Amino acid sequence: MKFWILLQRDVLVAWRKKSNIYQPLVFQLLIVTMFPLGLGAGAQTLQKIAPAVVWILALISTLITLENIFKDDYEDGSLALYALSGLPLPMAVLAKATAHWLTTGLPVILFAPVIGVLLHLPGDAYGVLMLSLLIATPIFSLLGTVGSALIMNLKNGGMLLSVLIMPLLAPVLIFGAGAVLETTLGNTPAGHLSLLAGCLVLSLTLAPLAAAAAIKVNLE
Amino acid sequence: MNKIVKFYHEMGSPPSFYRITGYWLKPLLILALGLTIYGLIDGLFYAPPDYQQGDSYRIMFVHVPAAWMSMFIYAVIGICGIIAFVWRMKVAEAVMMASAPIGALFTALTLLTGMLWGKPMWGTYWDWDARMTSELILLFLYIGVMGIYSAYDDDPRKAARLAALVAIIGLINLPIIRYSVEWWTSIHQGASISIMGGNSGIKEWSMLRPLLVMALATKFYYLYSMLHRARNYLLRTEQKKSWVTKQLIES
Repeated sequence: MKFWILLQRDVLVAWRKKSNIYQPLVFQLLIVTMFPLGLGAGAQTLQKIAPAVVWILALISTLITLENIFKDDYEDGSLALYALSGLPLPMAVLAKATAHWLTTGLPVILFAPVIGVLLHLPGDAYGVLMLSLLIATPIFSLLGTVGSALIMNLKNGGMLLSVLIMPLLAPVLIFGAGAVLETTLGNTPAGHLSLLAGCLVLSLTLAPLAAAAAIKVNLE
Repeated sequence: MNKIVKFYHEMGSPPSFYRITGYWLKPLLILALGLTIYGLIDGLFYAPPDYQQGDSYRIMFVHVPAAWMSMFIYAVIGICGIIAFVWRMKVAEAVMMASAPIGALFTALTLLTGMLWGKPMWGTYWDWDARMTSELILLFLYIGVMGIYSAYDDDPRKAARLAALVAIIGLINLPIIRYSVEWWTSIHQGASISIMGGNSGIKEWSMLRPLLVMALATKFYYLYSMLHRARNYLLRTEQKKSWVTKQLIES
């Protein structure tokens, strides 16, 4: 019950401040414009790098939103209330991660085909692209709660957050972009997607615990 | 048995850790320096040249021990991180934070010597081969542990606990990163470049000997340097305790 209340509240807060939702997408659009400008507009070149670029953009645009997952709650004291509410802290973390995914991950998935079109991604890869992002964006949000919990009371924690989270996301990028790449080459992406799903299960079980531990240390 | 238990408890308390390790520093330094000098002379002048690589393989005597240490030290940091996080042992925190910069330097040394070795052998300084890539990611993990610690410089206990958490997360992820990177390169390049054949290629004792000596030398150097740093770490974090004042008056 408390889980749903927390989730509802977070989604509502994000919805009231819509810039949180569309800013990552605008950011993606801005960066993707830089690629043809830098590389030359040749469709062949763009098509070749499309799977990687779409994926890296999804990753980076999520990364810039992670810093604030716990920051506001920590500063106005509501994080201490979550800890005292009787709801196990890992569950509260899970609610925060779900809310973050609904307001950041979901728009990124829905926006990915637009980026794909701009980069001449071959037509048969869109399904796999969205499926791989559907599996991977929850991982971003889950690991994001860990990173955000570690840096929540620092003033300029954004850079540190990237240093902490990026190495952990390397496997996700390998499997995710790999799945799309395999599809464009005419192979089956099943292996990559299964490994990606494995990463999701692992982060779903361990990330809330790690984030809760970090929150406890920071609230001490 | 009683003596071992007593020793174990003594090593857990900062004052006795400081006192006991004080006797070890000089022997460790002498061993590290002696073995390094012997190993380098043996490796650079007495080991025979390789039948394929000629003399340029000799960078291996620095490269391979450094690579071993880069992984060994991360394991030490991860295990100390678990001890520090679960039992809140100050000495474990000290060993963990003292190890991190040394491990990062060994990782950087591995990458640097690897690049210098790659130029004559592969014709390029850098190639996104599985081992190079995972070594680079290992460097980022070290930087993460040190970064979170230095970000909380006003409260060293809290900083050490958060750094321990980061180290544990890294330890869990290290095998995943390692294997994913290996599969990734197998997709891109077919067979990845493996010039040493995983080191099992060395059968010549006169080549193996300097390598083992250098591996021992780096272990002793690490112990010396880590203990030195850990002692200073304890002095710094415990500066308001009476044993530190007593120690400083005595010396």
